[in-house]
Amino acid sequence: MSERDLDALLEDCTQCGLCREVCIVETLGAHSITSLLCGEEQYSSWLCSSCWRCQEVCPQGVDIHAIIMEMRREEEPPPGHEANLVNVLSFGYALPVDDSIDDLRHFHGLEAVEFMPQAWLKILLEGLEVGASGE
Amino acid sequence: MPRMALFPGCLVLQRMPQYEKATKRVLTELDVHLENIPHAACCGAPLESFTDRWLHLAAYNLALAERLGRDILTLCGNCTNTLLRAQAALDEPSLRSDVNETLDEIGLRFEGSTTVKHLVELLTGHVEDLREKVTRELSLRVAVTHPCQAFRPHEISSFDDPLQPQAMRRIVELTGAEVVDYDAEFDCCGSTLYLADEGLGLEAGRRKLASAAQADVLVDACGNCQLLLERFRPGMGSGAGAGRTVVLTLPQLLGLAMGIDSGELGIGPASARELSRRSS
Repeated sequence: MSERDLDALLEDCTQCGLCREVCIVETLGAHSITSLLCGEEQYSSWLCSSCWRCQEVCPQGVDIHAIIMEMRREEEPPPGHEANLVNVLSFGYALPVDDSIDDLRHFHGLEAVEFMPQAWLKILLEGLEVGASGE
Repeated sequence: MPRMALFPGCLVLQRMPQYEKATKRVLTELDVHLENIPHAACCGAPLESFTDRWLHLAAYNLALAERLGRDILTLCGNCTNTLLRAQAALDEPSLRSDVNETLDEIGLRFEGSTTVKHLVELLTGHVEDLREKVTRELSLRVAVTHPCQAFRPHEISSFDDPLQPQAMRRIVELTGAEVVDYDAEFDCCGSTLYLADEGLGLEAGRRKLASAAQADVLVDACGNCQLLLERFRPGMGSGAGAGRTVVLTLPQLLGLAMGIDSGELGIGPASARELSRRSS
């Protein structure tokens, strides 16, 4: 994201600090995007539980979610998020697909899953590659 | 009989069918019939951090339900949030036509004609039916953890207070159980955080479980919450196990109050024994 884009998203932020006050990451002693919003330099856009509480309490209506998503696309992803991406691109699901899924479901008396056809996945997510930033 | 399309999401579909099983069993009692959505995929949430194409995946799932002519029932806060935001975003004509151009290649079309409801919202609409179905009042102290993402942002989800949701408490109260307050009630469970930093995610969960330790049961309504608070609990060390609070999903708790056998609700034997010890 260019500095100008970030400036536009941050235009209405008054650095009041309410977002940081309700952030679970900050409560636990680490630093999320809300630290950036308070003018701090130490933070990671990936340290977020996606609970949306910061955005909900923001009196200025800053789209904090949009800022996080934009910044993530420029920062190195943690292995857990990258693994999810690889799984979605490979299977269409955040978890790998194998026979054990239907075994577990049968044990609980549930139907087998009709998984998404690979051909459709290809059409929907064509051109996306692991490690690619954006499109 | 009302029919809905169930969107369990990756976690519940593949790792926690117990939650799906209990949901189907309990909703049968309420005369709500759930259909699976053949070929449904991930909601799109894990893609959003990398690309705008998450919308294509979300729209694909919504279009599958539209083709069935059913509204969608979700069990996970993250899926609910993602599908609702996708629906709102696809009001924009150029985005919608871009997505539909791709969907057309697999014979689908997004029209925006389906409604996405989380289980808590659906049950809120069946409070009277639920009251009638409770045949076994639970003498348990229950702490509630809310599917936070299902209630936020308020622009797309308006059925409950976005910061201090109350609907789930009211549903649990129908079981006769005592709903107990605890400090971390409205805090995130930490599940999504786990992906970025395991230690921080587990610490969020430990903090929540420790805060709710006075309760017999901690009840959730989200695949992510159940994964962290129940499955990953052994990794949290001391503090999380204090009092051995049993972690259940909402339909499992409701099912017990309806007199349904714990096995039919996917409640494991150890939890079932602990529950019976605590309620006697």
